[in-house]
Amino acid sequence: MQVLSRPSNRQQPENILGRLVARLSRHALWDSLLLFGPPASALIFAAALLFRAGWLGQVATIVAVTLTLALGVVAIVLRLRPLLPNVLRAARLLDQRSGAKDHFLTLATIDGAKQPASFLSRLRQQTEIFLNRVELKRDFPYQLKRSAYWSLGTALLLAAAVYLLLPLAHSMLNPIGAPDRLRELAQKMTANPELRPLAGELQALAAKLEDPQMPAKEKKALAERLEEKVEEQKKKEEQKDKRDLLGEAASALTGVEKQQESASGKEQQKDQKRGGGGIQTNARQDGQGENKQSQGSSGESKGDSSAQLTKDMDQGKASQANPKEPGQDKTQPGDAKNNQNQPDPNQPGKDPNQPKVSKTQGGSKEGAGKEQMSEQPPPQGGPQADRFYKAGEGKEGLAGAGYVTVQLPEEVVADSKGESRVTKESKNNSTRTQVPLSNVPLPAHIPNAPTEKQQMPIEYRGIIR
Amino acid sequence: MSPEQFQQMFKRLEAEVQRVIVGHDDLIRKILIAFFAGGHVLLEGVPGLGKTLLVKSLSRALGLSFKRIQFTPDLMPSDIVGTEVLSEHSGEREFQFKRGPIFAHVVLADEINRATPKTQSAVLEAMEEKQVTVFGDSHILESPFIVLATQNPIELEGTYPLPEAQLDRFFFKLLVTSPTPVELKEILKRTTGMVTSEISKVLPEDGGKLVGEMHQLLRQVMIAPPIEDYVVRLVYATQPNGANGSSPRAAVKQYIRFGSSPRGAQAIILGAKGNALAENRVHVSYEDVERVVYPALRHRIILNFQAEAENITTDQVIGEIFKQVARN
Repeated sequence: MQVLSRPSNRQQPENILGRLVARLSRHALWDSLLLFGPPASALIFAAALLFRAGWLGQVATIVAVTLTLALGVVAIVLRLRPLLPNVLRAARLLDQRSGAKDHFLTLATIDGAKQPASFLSRLRQQTEIFLNRVELKRDFPYQLKRSAYWSLGTALLLAAAVYLLLPLAHSMLNPIGAPDRLRELAQKMTANPELRPLAGELQALAAKLEDPQMPAKEKKALAERLEEKVEEQKKKEEQKDKRDLLGEAASALTGVEKQQESASGKEQQKDQKRGGGGIQTNARQDGQGENKQSQGSSGESKGDSSAQLTKDMDQGKASQANPKEPGQDKTQPGDAKNNQNQPDPNQPGKDPNQPKVSKTQGGSKEGAGKEQMSEQPPPQGGPQADRFYKAGEGKEGLAGAGYVTVQLPEEVVADSKGESRVTKESKNNSTRTQVPLSNVPLPAHIPNAPTEKQQMPIEYRGIIR
Repeated sequence: MSPEQFQQMFKRLEAEVQRVIVGHDDLIRKILIAFFAGGHVLLEGVPGLGKTLLVKSLSRALGLSFKRIQFTPDLMPSDIVGTEVLSEHSGEREFQFKRGPIFAHVVLADEINRATPKTQSAVLEAMEEKQVTVFGDSHILESPFIVLATQNPIELEGTYPLPEAQLDRFFFKLLVTSPTPVELKEILKRTTGMVTSEISKVLPEDGGKLVGEMHQLLRQVMIAPPIEDYVVRLVYATQPNGANGSSPRAAVKQYIRFGSSPRGAQAIILGAKGNALAENRVHVSYEDVERVVYPALRHRIILNFQAEAENITTDQVIGEIFKQVARN
């Protein structure tokens, strides 16, 4: 006797519909979890890292984690609700998968009470035939959505970014000072007898770096000297670990040098802001005193200025009295405008954009010029080359130097003919009331006249008087 | 009657007609569906495609009474519905109702658009009411009753196109197309040889009663609410004014002057039910609906002048509607 056994999935069509709905609901839940779970986990991970790094307090961390979890749950619920399948969708999926012609759809949605019983039972029988064609696990497997991959990838990136960038941010916000670094290296070097002297020097340098009284320039010089020693020692060393240690020390010293260099640059800028300085503003040193004399004539007549000039010239420093007037001497009086249009790096106060001052207001003009110079910001650009300074002068200007003046070719010719400048100038009926400006460009008719102005290097100071 | 019996009967009828008519399988099926749904069919096609033969074959297969009316401009309503004539009976003269050709189960109204509107309306009244009124007396028509009207889309001179209200009374409008080369070859073989096919009667003697049962069975076929909604949305989608608060589709707004009436939705659902039973199912599927939408709606949608100017057909507009109305 043959017994026909029913297949395991051959159940009532309504049951399989219910099972499919439950299965699709689970799929939707997984979709939502995988969409919002990884970012929430990454955020919690980030909060934990921040807590460990001390950026977040315990309470803040707990609040952040709780908030993240709550938001995650809300997002999952909001996402899940529209994804939850209904019987209609499940029936349509079953129809598609089994090849039924809306059998499941009709059975799931029709009101059985209003239909003929024979028709309903017939529909159920016909639908059961299609049940054999469907296996829920096989036909409706869970498949990861693309959004899940994106979510996971984003979360991983976020976690990795926080993990990697947190120490960096920590070091940027709390940098180790150079002295500490040097001491650390010195401590390492102390373990090695051969490097103990250098270690001692490093510690000494570290102590000096912390001395606020010591100028940055000196600190830099010390660092340079020690770096040279370290480099020499490095060349001598054969062991790699020692070389590495010395290399670290050398790089730390290089950092110290740069740090001190920038510090000295800042100091220089501060000085310039305070009262000018440097070779570019020759109003600060002795010339300033001279200017004061000229300023004393502020508001006085032009003749007073001439008298002062004559006096100065007798003292051999006529050209240092006022940096501005020579420029006017060398050109026609009406060319003053032209000269003003040509900025002179040694006369920052004589900015072409500044308002013009009438010639009859010489004294006032000088005074104004001084004020302008003192108010003028330092020239832009990098530090000057060393060749502009004598040894020991530093970059803060020519110590004790007066105004830098240049003897122009025509003056040289005049001198060779035995004419004094004053004579020549008096011939031209022009008064030389001010000290000449330096680096005045040669007139255009002079061959090889430079088109640009530059500061007078130290090598050419022989011709400066 | 059971659905199996319905399907068997249906298949036998189809097969019997197909013994004479080559091709047009879909046409035959839809005529039978309309017949069992209680509707009338308008067949449109150029001459010589077998429209009349198809109707004759069907009536023979059904074994029901068949009358053919050739519509001409001078045809009068009384020529169709009948009239009272004075007759002498046992010495007494009295008016006696002489039945017209409309009194048959299957009526072929050949070239219906050649008769005047007055005559057309007489037939159309009979189609809708299943009765005729002559000199104040109503006469019930045969049951089952089906009118299969034909019309020629060309040679329109001297014709009276059916008005929209009368077109609406046809359940389906079917287009008779030219046969394919293979079908034509088969037609030649069957019609030019010595052996000709004879159609045998499928329905039993009391065929009318059986057809009535089949008609009742068809109406019991189940249709799921989502599919019903789909039909409703399809029909409403033909409304250029955006009936039911919905905004009309671009093609509908552009080309349709009047959309389908509720009779269109009725025809779709009954036709779908007939199709489902013909496939031995007791429920309607989306496919059943989509199979009958074209014949049910193509004569109920009235195109505007722009569509005519651009040679847009109702089938093209229905195709656009299909694309835009999604299943549930």
